[in-house]
Amino acid sequence: MSKDVLVVKDLNMHYETLAGNVSAVKNVSFSVKEGESFGLVGESGCGKTSVAMSLLQLQADNAKISSGSISLDGIEMVGMSESELRKVRWDGISIVFQGAMNAWNPVVKVGEQIREAIREHYPNNTKNENTEKIESLFKMVDLDSSIMDRFPHELSGGMKQRAVIALALSCDPKVVIADEPTTALDVVIQDQILKEIKKVQELLGLSLIYISHDIAVIAEMTDQMAVMYAGSIVEIGPTDQVFSNPKHAYTRLLLESTPSVVGEKKKLRSLEGEPPSLIGEENGCSFSPRCPDPSDKCKSGNSEMGLIEVADGHFADKCCVECG
Amino acid sequence: MEENFNQDLQKELRREAIKRNWQLFKQSKLGMIGLYIVIFFLFLALLQPFLFLTGIWNKGVYDPVVGYEPIKDTLLVVECPKEYPTEKYESYQDCPAKGEVNVKKLYMAPGVEVGDMYETFIQPAPPSRRHILGTDSLGRDIFSQIMEGSQVAFILGLLSATLGVGISTILGTIAAFFGGKIDAYLMRQSDLILMLPSLPLLFIISAFAELKVWHLAVVLGVLGGLGGSVITIKSQALQVKVKPFVDSARITGGSNMKILFSHVLPNVAPLALLFMVFSVTGAIASESVLSFLGLLNIDMSWGIMIYLSQTDGFIFSGMRYWWLILPAGLAVTFLAGGFYLVGRGLDDVFNPRLRKR
Amino acid sequence: MAEYIIRRTFQMTIVFFLFLIFSYLLFNAIPGNAFSNLLLNPNLPPDAYQRVLEIYGLDKPLLERTQMYIVNFFKGDFGYSYKYFPKTPIELISERLPRTLMLFSIVNIVAFYTGFFIGKVLAWRRGSKAETWITVTSVFSYTVFYPWFALMMLWVFGYKLGWLPIGKFLYPEKWYDAPFDSDVVFTSMIKFTVVISLIQFAAYLASRGIESLSLRRNIRFGSLITIFAGSYFYWNNGDALIQKPYASDIAFHMILPVMVVTVVAFAGTALLTRTTMMEVLKEDYILTARAKGISQKRIRDRHAARTALLPVVTSFIFTIVTIIDGSVLTEQIFSWPGMGQLLLQSVLEEDIPVAMATFSFVGVFALIAHLLADVSYSYLDPRIRIKSQG
Repeated sequence: MSKDVLVVKDLNMHYETLAGNVSAVKNVSFSVKEGESFGLVGESGCGKTSVAMSLLQLQADNAKISSGSISLDGIEMVGMSESELRKVRWDGISIVFQGAMNAWNPVVKVGEQIREAIREHYPNNTKNENTEKIESLFKMVDLDSSIMDRFPHELSGGMKQRAVIALALSCDPKVVIADEPTTALDVVIQDQILKEIKKVQELLGLSLIYISHDIAVIAEMTDQMAVMYAGSIVEIGPTDQVFSNPKHAYTRLLLESTPSVVGEKKKLRSLEGEPPSLIGEENGCSFSPRCPDPSDKCKSGNSEMGLIEVADGHFADKCCVECG
Repeated sequence: MEENFNQDLQKELRREAIKRNWQLFKQSKLGMIGLYIVIFFLFLALLQPFLFLTGIWNKGVYDPVVGYEPIKDTLLVVECPKEYPTEKYESYQDCPAKGEVNVKKLYMAPGVEVGDMYETFIQPAPPSRRHILGTDSLGRDIFSQIMEGSQVAFILGLLSATLGVGISTILGTIAAFFGGKIDAYLMRQSDLILMLPSLPLLFIISAFAELKVWHLAVVLGVLGGLGGSVITIKSQALQVKVKPFVDSARITGGSNMKILFSHVLPNVAPLALLFMVFSVTGAIASESVLSFLGLLNIDMSWGIMIYLSQTDGFIFSGMRYWWLILPAGLAVTFLAGGFYLVGRGLDDVFNPRLRKR
Repeated sequence: MAEYIIRRTFQMTIVFFLFLIFSYLLFNAIPGNAFSNLLLNPNLPPDAYQRVLEIYGLDKPLLERTQMYIVNFFKGDFGYSYKYFPKTPIELISERLPRTLMLFSIVNIVAFYTGFFIGKVLAWRRGSKAETWITVTSVFSYTVFYPWFALMMLWVFGYKLGWLPIGKFLYPEKWYDAPFDSDVVFTSMIKFTVVISLIQFAAYLASRGIESLSLRRNIRFGSLITIFAGSYFYWNNGDALIQKPYASDIAFHMILPVMVVTVVAFAGTALLTRTTMMEVLKEDYILTARAKGISQKRIRDRHAARTALLPVVTSFIFTIVTIIDGSVLTEQIFSWPGMGQLLLQSVLEEDIPVAMATFSFVGVFALIAHLLADVSYSYLDPRIRIKSQG
């Protein structure tokens, strides 16, 4: 049994806006084991990226982590000073951002931007050591080493995304967050990149947090997964279990709204309504307005949110399991 | 019927847009400060004719150019020492001190001795109740001059900015829209204008004819309109030109002229407006510099006030004659600064990328 | 790239040619001429005026004169000054130019660096109280009525406090028994400044490839110390030792104009840098850089400022274009006998050969600077570099 690398407990994060506080992350807890890949799925605006940003503590200036803990290898990260955080970033947790196009500084060579990260965390390396390191990283993601001396705009989208992966691996991080790494790419390249990530993860024994709105990709990529809705995790467990036996109404709907290539043809269901506004406090199950057949208890708003164990290691939101 | 409805809708939309932009502008604190400054000077500019018309101010006394009022004052006659510092005076600048007059200056008035009180008309006179900013060395009211100056500044600034931006917007859009030879010609033309050193050029022009405010406004407007701003407007128009809605207008059979006027120009307009506000700043400064160097044939302006205070040697008397030096200089600075701040506020409105959150 | 430069040079030549004709006609269109005042002198024989015109060729028709001037111009013959007769415009310019260049290159470098630095800090500390105050100050110094401000500063530092000289670029009494002209000193000062900046630049380039950040910093620091030591050595040995008191006299006279013009000039750069920096800070790659664990200062200087530099450098080069133009007013106020005064005097006195020479000098300067702006832009922004190649 491998140990937990990253443990997130009761994480709460909100944005302070003119319209009031927006709770983007509510009581989120999960843990990622060594060499395991963990998926985070949910529709746009449900707080996936906010979780990722909180892990690196790169949230916008108006975002505040109000409570909870994030510990990496047993070291608490919430409340760390900026200089301590800088050491953890990239060395402990690195990230592959959504848009690879914009992740590169247009006026600095690709190699130099990777070199810069290595230089920051391994100040005693010589120039040749760093060059070798980048070459081996490029090899791993199937890139030619000549790309080092290119400017970002000279690369294709797929190449840029591969280079971003190389960049994320450059400081031998314990955890890599992949935040919708394939969004802006076409389908063929998407597939290549996914394979690349999978290969690299298995090769290096990385812990991976894979964030996506695409539940099919999560199924393919991850061992454990969590479903997020309106800032909270509504269902969490081993990926195959969640897929075979979804407990939460939202998870079920997500699964039903995704076409399946194999198996019988069935009508796709679409999710009615929009995610709730996250401003202010609310009572009861946040999903009840969109729930296809909410129970009376659920509608009355008397139910409480909270995860209960439905199977071994498989948790789902109490109110929906009880009601729905 | 439907046309009417459409027009009403458009009007409504436009009103909405203006309202929204105004809300955005209000959020920019510095922009609002700028607007207040501009409104203050506009108020000053309009106040003067009002005061003359209603007879609150007598033209003979308060006219900025020919007004005159002797201010009586009694001064103590003293003899300035030959060597400094003495107990009373630290250096020769301090003698005669306030309320005193050097006996040597009174050789025209026989019989006056040291220690006497000497009654005289003082010019420039310090601020008093009748002249809240004092009078200049010719006994003219400074406050009235400041008001006259702000009229000049507004006329000149707005006229030359409108003219200049009008010219450069039209030329810039044409250059972007038609490209080719027309573009090349217009760009070389603005190169040519940019090559000419601006101040000496204005000297030459002022040698042809004595420049009045109107002439200067036209000259500044044309020079500004043909110069660098054509290039900037053109680059903006180029960006608009490749937007999808221009293509769709062309596909639906819009003529060149129609596309130019109903699609490209309106989208260049915000930048042009911005340019206009900023070039007011430039025009006010140019007028002041030219007046300051004595090259303009204007009766009164802020530049001329500073010019006079310098040629009369009051600048180096320091703060003793502050009312001759500070008001005009600050007025130029503040009005130019006010327009600049308004421009920055507008920039926040039109440049959504810079908006806070 | 080479093809681009050649094409631009060709266009520039045409523009310059038109510029020459236009300016020449412009000067000749001014009513009267440089010798008109001879007519006012009753003691001169009546045909004296006519004879002078003949000597200078001013009696010929305008078209013929224009043609002659252009032809001679391209032969390298700029004629003689009407006012300082035996001197040629070239002699006058080469005498005045070092003085202007010395003053304004220092002003521009100081103003650019302060402006860029302040702009960087402003964008970085957006929303703080310090930002508001610095912005207000910058706007004030950007829009302040410059001659007025300069005179006030002259009054404060030159008159009231008496720390700095009022006007002129040297104390004449110090130069009575000087073994050389002020121009000699100016020239060697300029040489000295150029060599220093080249060394500094070379040190920067050489240290760029070094991997260790601390070593890189030490090398740059070391180069600074070397420069200081070197300049101390230079000014205390050989020819420079004799020139030292004179050079320091000039330097002393430069303090006030440099200070005043810098205060006015830095603000434009600062405000522009702030705007462009703020746009850049919203970019995703700034977030990437932060995620990489790079220090705030390095993100600011290396990532944000580097990209924000582009428009700032362009506008800076355009400022350089206006050095001589802008020097007119400054030199007038500080009685600094440089190019600006020459330009102004020659225009006012209708000394056409000198005015034409200075005008065309300014024009060539402007054209080259524009070209430089485009070339340096493509160097700083690799995206454009590709475009111009392909």
